[in-house]
Amino acid sequence: MSGAVMDEIVMDGLRIDGCTVAFGGLRAIDNVTLDIPGGTITALIGPNGSGKSTFVNMVSGQIPPVAGRVVLKGQPITGLRPDRIVHRGLARTYQVPKVPKELTIQEVISVPLLYARSDRPLPSGVRSAADLAHYCGLRPAVTTRCGQLSVSDLRRLEIARALACRPEVLLLDESMAGLSLEDTDQVIGLVREIHVLGVTVVVIEHVMRIIARLCQHAIVLNQGRLLAEGAPQRVLTDPDVREAYLGKGFTL
Amino acid sequence: MNAARLLNRLGFYAAVAAPFVVVAVAEHPFFVQIAIGVAVSAILALAWDILSRTGQVSLGHAAFFGMGGYGSALLTPVFGPVLGWAAGILLCGAVAVLLGAVTLRLRRLYFTIATLSFSLSIQVFILVTPDLTGGSTGIMPPVIAGGSPPHQLLFITACLVVAATVSDIFLGPRFRPAFFMIRNNPHLAAASGVPVTRLKILAFAVSGMVAGLAGACYAGLYGYVIPEDVFTTNWNVLPLAVTILGGMDTTLGPIIGAVALRALEEVARHFVGGVGYQVVYGAVIILFIVGMPVGLVGFARGLVRRRRKPAAEADTVKARLAS
Ligand SMILES: Nc1ncnc2c1ncn2[C@@H]1O[C@H](COP(=O)(O)OP(=O)(O)OP(=O)(O)O)[C@@H](O)[C@H]1O
Ligand SMILES: [Mg+2]
Repeated sequence: MSGAVMDEIVMDGLRIDGCTVAFGGLRAIDNVTLDIPGGTITALIGPNGSGKSTFVNMVSGQIPPVAGRVVLKGQPITGLRPDRIVHRGLARTYQVPKVPKELTIQEVISVPLLYARSDRPLPSGVRSAADLAHYCGLRPAVTTRCGQLSVSDLRRLEIARALACRPEVLLLDESMAGLSLEDTDQVIGLVREIHVLGVTVVVIEHVMRIIARLCQHAIVLNQGRLLAEGAPQRVLTDPDVREAYLGKGFTL
Repeated sequence: MNAARLLNRLGFYAAVAAPFVVVAVAEHPFFVQIAIGVAVSAILALAWDILSRTGQVSLGHAAFFGMGGYGSALLTPVFGPVLGWAAGILLCGAVAVLLGAVTLRLRRLYFTIATLSFSLSIQVFILVTPDLTGGSTGIMPPVIAGGSPPHQLLFITACLVVAATVSDIFLGPRFRPAFFMIRNNPHLAAASGVPVTRLKILAFAVSGMVAGLAGACYAGLYGYVIPEDVFTTNWNVLPLAVTILGGMDTTLGPIIGAVALRALEEVARHFVGGVGYQVVYGAVIILFIVGMPVGLVGFARGLVRRRRKPAAEADTVKARLAS
């Protein structure tokens, strides 16, 4: 692939250029350079503590990198405030959803609908917070308080909240972890639908079966460094990647 | 806002104002004085509650209370009564924006301590600038309603309705969810596109102005105010005590709390007398914080909800029997 073609693909995706995030002496992200091609579902994998959530925090502006650049659709977003980055079209979910207990489903989703100011469209037929909750498979009434939701519903609510930001790039931090097989399948279906809407999706996942089924591209982090990147089939059979996971009880 | 909600709120304001108006019309001197005190406390507590919805717990609202009184008093000779009050209240808003910006990054307890120190330093500022502020001898603000207590009560009741309306705006769909999200998890709020800093400072500015309104009302009661009348720990702690007693995060809570606290004070004074009543009064407040953190309004709501729940469960049992 020539450089020009590559640049064009990356223009509508996400480029990470020599980024480092340090916590004291620990480099949770260590000089990482990679591309997330626009229009793909990309898997971000790596053993526990390899820096995946930190990567999401970095890209979304919560913990800006101490070095390097983050480029969204050709525009640098390094050092922008998190809410500004949302306005630019990047949304993320949290691995451990922590929403105010006293707010209802409807109220949580209404926050990005009101504040994420975007002219990008919502999925067709989706006009309100209630529609979006339904779209994401939330079964409880939208007037249910978040304190009463199950983990699986909190995960869906996180996806609904992030979708309400009307993103072009969406990062899902372990949205399927700890879900039943049935719930997992539903969320996989949801991710596919979101992808079909034209959203570039990054999924952080531990279950290789899901990655192989869902993703066109994969990135592997290990101890904050980029270990491998490319087609999932190739990456998952890479000896280095296997070694990074060895002893952790993962089956590839 | 839809028509039903608007009607609901108008009914609520009428219900809040009605008892005060009745007292004013009855012209019973003792109850008029009590009602004026309750209304001023309620306005100050509403101001405090608006700020606390963003997670900012202030122990320095006496500063804005006093600045509202001093500002309106000092600016009325310059701008006339209406613009003078407006300017005094805007001054509170401007100072609140500055204080809000400075204290933005402070964690909870440090924030609270900073607001407390701020209120103390404002009092010192008044004492060291006698030429500008009258220093320890105080000032003579223009008296509200020609000094007629029943008319003063009517005017302050109108101010209370204004404060309740402002409180309601910040409990509406645009601000309530965003404020609670900022309080509970500011990262989540920012990740939802909320300009966290701007909203926290907005809450501070509005809170400062409403507290300033309460202070302007208070200073205009007798036409004479010394720094110790307004810049005291009492006015720092009162809005917190009132709101916790009545219930946080609501408009009704601070109003009910102001009534309850005043009733508690009168009862304690009657039975204990002297200054000893303050101990009883303090103890009851502590009991409330420990035993009923949701306040009177929250407790009543819980009762209503619990009463509805068995009904809902009965329904599902019926449904199960039918199927
Ligand atoms: N706020 C923080 N302060 C200090 N260290 C942190 C912080 N956040 C993460 N770390 C450290 O950075 C490293 C990477 O953590 P991170 O949460 O990004 O890993 P992860 O790949 O998401 O792991 P998991 O699969 O368990 O979710 C870990 O060693 C973690 O202890
Ligand atoms: Mg993680």
